[in-house]
Amino acid sequence: MKNRKNKWISGVVLAGIITLAAAGCTSPGGQNNQAAAPEKDTVYIAGMKFKPAELWINQWDTVVWINNDIVAHDVTQFPDKTWSSDSIQPGQSWEKAFGDSVDYFCSIHPTMKGKIMIRQ
Amino acid sequence: MNTLKSITKWTGAALACVLFFSSTTWAQSSSKLTDPEIASVAVTANQIDVNYGKIALRKSKNKEIRKFAETMIKDHTDIIKQAVALATRLHVTPKTNATTKSLLDGEKSTTKTLDSKRGKAFDEAYIDNEVAYHKAVINAVQNVLIPDATNQDLKDLLTKVMPLLNSHLEMAENTQAEIQGKKVSANTGGSSW
Ligand SMILES: [Cu+2]
Repeated sequence: MKNRKNKWISGVVLAGIITLAAAGCTSPGGQNNQAAAPEKDTVYIAGMKFKPAELWINQWDTVVWINNDIVAHDVTQFPDKTWSSDSIQPGQSWEKAFGDSVDYFCSIHPTMKGKIMIRQ
Repeated sequence: MNTLKSITKWTGAALACVLFFSSTTWAQSSSKLTDPEIASVAVTANQIDVNYGKIALRKSKNKEIRKFAETMIKDHTDIIKQAVALATRLHVTPKTNATTKSLLDGEKSTTKTLDSKRGKAFDEAYIDNEVAYHKAVINAVQNVLIPDATNQDLKDLLTKVMPLLNSHLEMAENTQAEIQGKKVSANTGGSSW
């Protein structure tokens, strides 16, 4: 009886974890433009690099940064830090839409730099 | 805990010297490390840099030094977490060994030096040590830990750490240059001509 209850509880907990994990894939924190059907472009963070370091997008497309590295990073406007993601933990992501081209870097590791460019 | 007590201080210091000033020799002369020993060395090496960072946050008022120290604490703590998680998953218990011991002896003497300095002298000593320490660790990971690791996941984690260490070294050198650039009086020895 007790055993069955425990099994049931662990099933619920497991389902909860799976749901949370799935929710984690659509990151919180960034801007979520659900309007027109903007494209999503991805920048992967791995091996202390933004890949690709230079990304061309259409105006107001959303860029998603996915941290596949072993430490936390951030995405911060360069050089004035006018906007910044909070630190993005390994396995987490962050997104933002862009109307203008921008240079950015990781403020935790200033050796990491990237660019977003708007297609004309 | 005290299994290595028999190793004299002199041996420890000598090993530390070998590690810090000619890690290639250290790399070649040392016998092959087992995976549990590698796990111990990896965790210890990371913990030492976290500890140096904590000293810097306690003693330095310099903005660049403090920012660098904060990043070291964050990153090396993250790596320790991953190393421990991997060791747990592989049922590997980190095993203390001569290399761990020499790392800890090196930490002891460096901490003594850092504790004895203040202000700008401390900042310089801290960042100089960070440059040297990261060079030594990069050398050891590349030439000893990665080649000696037998488990593929352990090898992979060590390989993934390399870009991070290289980037830390670059950041340390940049910070070092900034600190030196702010030096008021020039040429305290060193001789460039
Ligand atoms: Cu970073």
